[in-house]
Amino acid sequence: MAPRVVVLSLASDFGCQVQLSNMTDEILDVLGLIDLSYWQLASSGHMPDAYDVAIVEGAVTTDEHVALLESVRATAGVVIAIGACANTGGIPGLANLLDLDERYGVVYGDGDGPRVAAGRRAPMPLDSVIAVDYHVPGCPIDPPEFLRVLSRVLLGLKNRVPDLTMCASCKINETVCFFDRGELCLGLVTRAGCGARCPSLNRPCTGCRGIAPDANLVAARAISIASGRPEGALDDALRIYNTAKEVRG
Amino acid sequence: MFFRVIPKREIPDLVRGLAHEFEVVGPVAKGESFVFAPLTDPSELRLDYDTTLLPAKQWFFPASETLMRFRVADNAVVDDSVDVTPRVLFGLHPCDVNSLLLMDNVFLGDDPDPYYKARRDNTLIVGLSCMPTDTCFCDAWGTDETHWGFDIFLSEIGDDYYASIRSVKGAEVVDRYVTGREVTEEDTAAFQARTASFKAAFASDIDTSQLPVLLDAKYDSGIWAELGDLCLSCGACSMVCPTCHCFDVHDELEADQTHGTRVRTWDSCMFRDFAEVAHGNFREVRAARVRYRYYHKQWGYLSRFERVLCVGCGRCTRACKAHIDPPRVVRALQTGVVDR
Ligand code: SF4
Ligand code: SF4
Ligand code: SF4
Ligand code: SF4
Repeated sequence: MAPRVVVLSLASDFGCQVQLSNMTDEILDVLGLIDLSYWQLASSGHMPDAYDVAIVEGAVTTDEHVALLESVRATAGVVIAIGACANTGGIPGLANLLDLDERYGVVYGDGDGPRVAAGRRAPMPLDSVIAVDYHVPGCPIDPPEFLRVLSRVLLGLKNRVPDLTMCASCKINETVCFFDRGELCLGLVTRAGCGARCPSLNRPCTGCRGIAPDANLVAARAISIASGRPEGALDDALRIYNTAKEVRG
Repeated sequence: MFFRVIPKREIPDLVRGLAHEFEVVGPVAKGESFVFAPLTDPSELRLDYDTTLLPAKQWFFPASETLMRFRVADNAVVDDSVDVTPRVLFGLHPCDVNSLLLMDNVFLGDDPDPYYKARRDNTLIVGLSCMPTDTCFCDAWGTDETHWGFDIFLSEIGDDYYASIRSVKGAEVVDRYVTGREVTEEDTAAFQARTASFKAAFASDIDTSQLPVLLDAKYDSGIWAELGDLCLSCGACSMVCPTCHCFDVHDELEADQTHGTRVRTWDSCMFRDFAEVAHGNFREVRAARVRYRYYHKQWGYLSRFERVLCVGCGRCTRACKAHIDPPRVVRALQTGVVDR
């Protein structure tokens, strides 16, 4: 029996779900292999009570999210976290640098702020709340990588995300390194797997795939400073996608 | 070997002629750097290039290649053909010509790699003389000269090239596509003078004395931990290295899951998972990985093939953000201190 799959979103801009719908060449093949029971972006129905695989996008930002994830975990045999928000806290994770109560006051007014803020939490990745079985990092996700992961799910193979950094893929692309052009690039410490796409498109890596487990941050900071960047420049640049992970340790 | 003088202005004719029979790959500009790429016109050829970002190994051993396509239902191989385009690699410097000979030891031994061999058999090599840059140190390993491993080698003498022709195929294409002329004693004297000025131009002064002994004697030296602390484990050094040849093999299924491909990709001993096996990781720490890279190159390979697995091309010197390269490692071995 084809596995019953649900796709849902927490705090995010739905960009990763849009990426899924962009897989025009493969989507029909994929749909032939799964029973897509619910897709938040594309269906008006409700989450079913029973399903096998949950594909979750977005960061955890409310108590409601926590409750939802707990029920997802109790129901699904397999949970796949897709996108930077779900994997590292992503851009929502930047809010960890702020005093949230104060910000809610600024946005919603002093009267409504505290009311609206009830049940809100500092943005965090999924695995801060539940165990995650498969990870597809990136902002947004790379459809070919998603398909490779889905294939592993269908075959029952374990999660396999590269632990190494970006520079090897970048060398294979024969991109002239940004450090040799006087610019900072976070590929030095960012998890590989996208084929060093941004550098190949002439933009430095911004770290959307998260810090690679094998990265040497101490050495990378020294290289950043030796290349003429101010102290702290590397860590500042890493914030955009990696604040929540950093805060949580 | 026999010789011919080919005026520089005949090189476009040679390239155009070769293009009738082969895909011609040569050095072309990429930003401020150079890459080996297929030529669409002889004018793109930059025979004044210093070095390329990636070496020529990609034309025999691509960064990623499909070894076979299979059907899942019955595990049948449905396609294992090797796509081989007859090709000329035009303008390889001596280090790069030598690097292919070192690769041959690995891929063309008792049990030749069919993919590598098919491409090697269908590729003509045209070597080219060069002048050392400040990152070159081929002189340290004697890979600044090459006497085989090419079909034609072009040494620049003024407005001409002194062409050493080593293979029948090389002679055929020279006959067919250039006029050239017989070599005179003056030409050979110019070739010798050119070689002398090339050798005199090396800035490197690596002391390779007793290197294999030092590698063993200093196995537990603190230099490895120091180098390990600097290393990003990025593997850039192996990717750009013309002699690094390690690979990984894995299967990928197509979207409908009925067929899959077996893919081989470049790997590096600098990656942590390179040494991960069932019982754990036998090179878990960075220091062990940096040390291993130099052991393999300057000792392990040497003990099997009587050459070190480095041709001094300096690509790792340019690629490594941590400035870890053979000259610095050899200095550290000689002095016991990692210089800053
Ligand atoms: S451009 Fe970025 S990813 Fe590429 S080699 Fe340089 S630091 Fe690494
Ligand atoms: S180790 Fe460095 S210098 Fe030696 S062949 Fe490899 S890239 Fe060139
Ligand atoms: S140095 Fe490392 S990557 Fe290069 S050939 Fe040796 S083991 Fe392989
Ligand atoms: S030696 Fe340099 S290029 Fe090689 S893995 Fe370490 S940091 Fe990267």
